[in-house]
Amino acid sequence: MNVILKNIGKKYEGREEFTLKNINLEIEDKDFCVILGPSGCGKTTLLRMIAGLNSITEGDLLFNNKRMNKVPSKDRDIAMVFQSYALYPHMTVYENMAFSLAMRKERKKVIDERVMEAAELLQIKQYLYSKPSDISGGQRQRVALGRAMVRKPSVFLMDEPLSNLDAKLREHMRVELVRLHKALGTTSIYVTHDQTEAMTMATKIVLMNDGKIQQAGKPDEFYNRPANIFVAKFIGSPTMNIIEGKMTGGKFVANHGLIVITPSPTDAEFLKAYEGKPVSVGIRPERFESGGQFGDTFTATIDVVEMLGKEKILYTRLENDSEIIISTPGHFAYAVDEVHSFGFDVGAIHFFCTETGIRIN
Amino acid sequence: MKLFKKKNELYLSDKQPLSSVGMVMLIISYVVLFAWSLAILWPLSDMIISAFNGRQEQYLMINTNFSFSLKHFDYLFNETLYFTWVKNTIFIAVVTAILTLIIVSFTGFAYSRYRFKGRKASLMAIMLIQTIPAFAGITAYFTMHSIISSIIPVFSRQMMLILIYAGGGIAGNTFILKGYIDSISTELDDAARIDGCSSMQVYRLIIMPIAKPMLAIIALWSFIGPFMDYLLPRVLLTSPESYTLAAGLFTLINDFRTLNQPAFAAGGLLTAVPIVALFIILQKQLVSGLSSGSVKG
Repeated sequence: MNVILKNIGKKYEGREEFTLKNINLEIEDKDFCVILGPSGCGKTTLLRMIAGLNSITEGDLLFNNKRMNKVPSKDRDIAMVFQSYALYPHMTVYENMAFSLAMRKERKKVIDERVMEAAELLQIKQYLYSKPSDISGGQRQRVALGRAMVRKPSVFLMDEPLSNLDAKLREHMRVELVRLHKALGTTSIYVTHDQTEAMTMATKIVLMNDGKIQQAGKPDEFYNRPANIFVAKFIGSPTMNIIEGKMTGGKFVANHGLIVITPSPTDAEFLKAYEGKPVSVGIRPERFESGGQFGDTFTATIDVVEMLGKEKILYTRLENDSEIIISTPGHFAYAVDEVHSFGFDVGAIHFFCTETGIRIN
Repeated sequence: MKLFKKKNELYLSDKQPLSSVGMVMLIISYVVLFAWSLAILWPLSDMIISAFNGRQEQYLMINTNFSFSLKHFDYLFNETLYFTWVKNTIFIAVVTAILTLIIVSFTGFAYSRYRFKGRKASLMAIMLIQTIPAFAGITAYFTMHSIISSIIPVFSRQMMLILIYAGGGIAGNTFILKGYIDSISTELDDAARIDGCSSMQVYRLIIMPIAKPMLAIIALWSFIGPFMDYLLPRVLLTSPESYTLAAGLFTLINDFRTLNQPAFAAGGLLTAVPIVALFIILQKQLVSGLSSGSVKG
C-alpha cells in the first residue's frame, strides 16, 4: 500500500503555533521509510497522525488514494510498535499477540495459526505462555513485533522500537527488522532519532527539523548530496566540517583566510552566481587528503587523536584555533601536537549558501 | 571471654549501631507502641469476652465472673431484628460498592485520559466539596427524598442512603483511581485502539484489569462505609425494620426498653464477619497490587 501525505499540518489544542505544516511526502508500496530527526521535531506526531492516534488539522492523508483523515485507527489496516512496546501486562505473550485478531472476532483456529507462525518467525515459541514482566527486553521487543505482525497489516508503523535495547541487541535487531521487512513485504514507516538506524535500514529517509521536511530520499543521497547545512551536519559521524567564507575571484576563501579552495569546474559553474557572496563549505572528515601534495592545502596542529581501530579521528586546530575534524585510516601514524598539511578531495566538497543554508552545487 | 567473643561477631545491619540516646528513644517508641495497642485491644477483648459471658445481664459489669454461654447471641437472633438489620446493611453496602465502582471507573478514567473544558476546575471543586461532611446536607437529603419519592413511590429512605454513600465516595475515589490510571502508560491505550478497541473496551479490557488492586480497595472501602456509619441511618431511617446494623444495634444500648448491653457486644462482634469475608475474597487482588509493582517492575 502506498501512503501519501498532502500538505499535512498539525496544531495541538492550546498551542499557538503549528507543530507541523506543509508536510508533503509519498511513500511507495513496500518502502522502508525512516522518519529521522532530532527530538521535538514532530516526527512522532507525524507517525501518530498516520496511525490515527492524533487528528489531522489540515491536509490529506491517502492510503492507496483513499482519504484516511477521519477513519479510526482500527479500520486503517495498520499495526504499530511502540517505544515502550506497550504489551498488555495482565495477558500472556500468546494473548497479547492474539488480542487484535480476537477483537476482530477471528476464528480461534486462524488466530492460533497466525500466532504460531509469528512466534516461529521471531523465535519466541518457548515464551508464549509467560507474562511480559517475566521476559527480557529483547524478547518483549519481539513480542511487540509479533503482535503487530499477526494481523498482516498493510502498513507497519514503528516508533523508536530499538531505543530501549542495549547496543549489541540493537545492532542485531536492526538486521532482523530489515529481514522481516523483506519477508513480509509491507510498507513500513519507522521513526528514529538515530542516524545509524536510518542509514542502515531505510530505503527512503525523511529528515525532519522544526516541523518541516529537510530532505527526503535514499540514504546515499543524504550522505553524498545533503540538501542543506542542517542535513549535512545531522548525517554522518563525526560531523561534517562546515567552514564559512566568501567567493572571491572564483575561489572560496574562508573568513579567517587560512583556507582557500579552488572548486572543480562543475562546481565553479554553480558558484558563479555567488561571486562575492557569503558561502559555506562542507567537507566530510574522511575526504581530506593527508600529505597535501595536491592543490590547495592548509596546515593544522593535531590536538586530540581518537583511535577507533580501522580509522583515526584527528581533532586538529588551525592557527586561529578553529577546529577541523579529519578522519584517516587507522594505520597512518599521527601523534598529538604534530603539525601537518592536508589537502581536499575537490570532488567531494559541498557548497552551501550561508544565508539560507541551501546547497549550491 | 564472652565480651571478647561478642566483638568478633559480624555486624550485619546496614544501619549505624545505636548510641545510648538512640537506645532510650527506641525504648520510648516501644512503650508508646505497646500503650497504643493496649488502648485498641483492651476494649476489643472486653467486648469479645462480654459477648460470650453468661454471667452478664442487661448491663455490662466489669467483673471476673465468667461462664461460657451463647445466650446473648440467642437473644440477638431471636428477640431483636438483627437479621433484618444485617440484610439491610449488606444490601446497602453491596449496592453502594457496585455503584461507586461503576461511577468511579467512568470518572477516574475520563479525568485521567481525556482533556476537556473545566477539567481542572471540576477536579478542584470535587476536592473542595469533599471537605464538607455528608451530614451537613441532611435537610437537603430530606427534601430530595420527598421530591423523588413523590414521583417514584418505590424510592425508599434506604435508596436515599445508598445515593448519599455512593455520591460521597465518588469524590475521593475518583482522585485515587485517576492517580492510579495516570501511572498506566497511555501507549497501552493507543495500542489497544489500533488493535480495535473502542474507548469502553480500552477501559474494560486493558485499564480495568491493570487497575484491579485499586478497584479492590475502593470496593472494600465503600463496602465498609455503611457498616460504620451511624448518624445518617439513624436520622434518615424511621422504622426499626429498615435500620442498618449500626443504627439497629444502638437501640440495644440507648433505649432502656430494649436495653441489652452484652447483646450489643455480640452484635458488634458479628458485624465484622461480612467485612472480613470480603477482605478475604479480595485479598489476592489487594496483595497482588502491593507486590506486582515493586517486585516485577
